Amino acid sequence: MLSMKNISKVYQTEKVQTHALRDFNLNVDEGEFIAVTGPSGSGKTTFLNIAGMLEPFTGGDFMLDDVNVGTLSDNQRADLRNQKIGFIFQGFNLIPDLNLYENIEVPLRYRGIKSAERKRRIEECLEKVGLASRAKHLPQQLSGGQQQRVAIARALAGKPRFLLADEPTGNLDSLMARQVMELLEEINREGSTIIMVTHDSELARRAPRNIQVVDGQLADFTLYQNKAMDEIAAKAGQPAIEA
Amino acid sequence: MFLHYIDLSWRSMKRTPLVSMLMILAIAVGIGITMTSLSVYHMMSMDPIPHKSDKLFSVQLNTTDDGNNWWTEDDVPLQLTYKDAMALHNADTPERKTASVRALFTVQMDDKEVKPFLASTRVTGRDFFPIFDLEFVYGDAWTSEQEASATPVVVLDEETNDRLFAGENSVGKQVYLDDTAFRIVGVIKQWRIHTKYYDLNNGAFNSPESIFMPITLIAPLEIQNMGNTNGWKYEEINTFQERLQSEMFWLQFWVELNTPEELKNYSDYLQAYLSEQGTKGRFERKTPQFNLKDVNEWMQYNKVVSADNKVLVGLSFLFLAVCLANILGLLLGKFLRRAPEVGVRRALGASKRQIFIQHLVEVSMLGLLGGVIGIAIAQLGLWGVRFTSNEYASLATMDIKMLLAAPAIAISACILAGIYPAWLVCRTQPAIYLKTQ
Ligand SMILES: Nc1ncnc2c1ncn2[C@@H]1O[C@H](COP(=O)(O)OP(=O)(O)OP(=O)(O)O)[C@@H](O)[C@H]1O
Ligand SMILES: [Mg+2]
Repeated sequence: MLSMKNISKVYQTEKVQTHALRDFNLNVDEGEFIAVTGPSGSGKTTFLNIAGMLEPFTGGDFMLDDVNVGTLSDNQRADLRNQKIGFIFQGFNLIPDLNLYENIEVPLRYRGIKSAERKRRIEECLEKVGLASRAKHLPQQLSGGQQQRVAIARALAGKPRFLLADEPTGNLDSLMARQVMELLEEINREGSTIIMVTHDSELARRAPRNIQVVDGQLADFTLYQNKAMDEIAAKAGQPAIEA
Repeated sequence: MFLHYIDLSWRSMKRTPLVSMLMILAIAVGIGITMTSLSVYHMMSMDPIPHKSDKLFSVQLNTTDDGNNWWTEDDVPLQLTYKDAMALHNADTPERKTASVRALFTVQMDDKEVKPFLASTRVTGRDFFPIFDLEFVYGDAWTSEQEASATPVVVLDEETNDRLFAGENSVGKQVYLDDTAFRIVGVIKQWRIHTKYYDLNNGAFNSPESIFMPITLIAPLEIQNMGNTNGWKYEEINTFQERLQSEMFWLQFWVELNTPEELKNYSDYLQAYLSEQGTKGRFERKTPQFNLKDVNEWMQYNKVVSADNKVLVGLSFLFLAVCLANILGLLLGKFLRRAPEVGVRRALGASKRQIFIQHLVEVSMLGLLGGVIGIAIAQLGLWGVRFTSNEYASLATMDIKMLLAAPAIAISACILAGIYPAWLVCRTQPAIYLKTQ
């Protein structure tokens, strides 16, 4: 469903040029669950943003569902994003003026879903992340972990075909992290394709496919599967994925 | 979605109450001042008799020698001589026509309870009432026989009738005007016009006269006009008779012409009349010159709305523009601070258009609130105008058009100021704000 060929991304700031991605090649099939690991600053978020069409890329070819993303207009990308893609951002990125219920409602509104259906989905998702009783709270009235769970609920409510999660468990304790992982696995079983960035090697290992981004390039460990991962990482001279 | 945007705008305003108040106040002050001057302008330039303003014509005849300059744009005198006015007044054509002139009389009653007072009086023909659509509460206009025989009869307006007879039917009763006894034949419904378009001599925005009497009384009563009298050549005038025979201009003349054909016929008539008068040696003029201007043309020709008034409206709009520039600055700050939120919305599937509209709705709401408060400020301003100026008193009001225009102008002005900030914010790259927190 997703195919990137020689994707590169250069950030040009006043003084420095940062090659956030270079020669980045990846194929993702429908229904996959991929964990992305890699050192800080290696380009993981950049990759997710490009995959979600939030950012233009500098070079290469990017096909999403047989559509050449490079040729799409801004509106077409917004449309595709709205129809197919769900995000869990690295920061929670909740809208401070809106309560939990309304925050989760945002993508559903843009998709034009009817009010009754929105309500049903939002309540279901709040239930899933254990925040049903706090629907009317504002984000700043919640702990970091709770906010993260709202961000997850927001992504799940849209039942996206393609879920991009940037450290969805970063702010959660290990118990909560495991629950979130189970949620993700559940919607993966229901058919969503998931790409998840994580620093937690244990969680990464639960994903059927692992990839590592190092210095803007992809080291694909798929072939070696999970158990061999630490070993290979060590051989490659990289530090094992930090927990 | 629209209601949702309104809800979002409301929250956004509550989130920054001070900035929102400041913006609303800026719009309100700008709109208040603009609407004050615009309302006065609107009243000044408003058609005073819309259903027949294109059928009423003011008559001008140029009975001066060639080469005489006048202060009108085409050098044609504004008023007529007594000779010409009465000749046209007594002509067979058209059906409705009248000479008229303003005079002042002291009003007295047998009843000593009523103190004598000065009343502005219109000396005119009986056609004056149907021409200007004046309705009668009691009685009617004087008859043509009474007009022909110069009978001392009058028509009062409602206010004068209230003052003298406590609003009772006064037809048949007597009133003294400068010691002459007049019989009342009719009382008209109060004539309310903002612009005294039929006689602009004593200021365009004065009230109409309160008493009306036959024009044929001018000669026997030697009535002095209280308007402008202008001459163009030396004439020795010692008696009132000589004044009536002179070439001085001091009367107004109006006709009602209902079809283009009537207009054409009357033009031909005036042309012939002027040629005839020219051959009598009254004036040296190669081609006869006359004007038939309808009500709106007449008001423009007389510059009822002066250049000063236009400048004032212009200045007030300039002031509104300054207010808008401030609002634009505040909006820029407010909207750009919200870029992270917009980034999130974009990432969650909002199109640029949706973001743009959301922000325009917010701006329109500011405009609406500002417009409503602006109306209150404009009322205050108009009250000030009424308070300080007698002449503009009747003009300093807002009619329904202006009341509706205020929020409309406020909203469009705000949208104008908001387009650029809204455009900037809808262009935010969604990704920039999402990297980390
Ligand atoms: N908008 C930007 N402008 C300039 N440089 C940027 C921008 N965004 C990212 N970079 C740079 O690109 C590189 C990759 O950044 P990215 O955020 O993708 O890393 P990451 O792998 O997600 O890191 P972390 O694990 O800390 O989240 C970094 O060197 C970063 O400084
Ligand atoms: Mg990152």
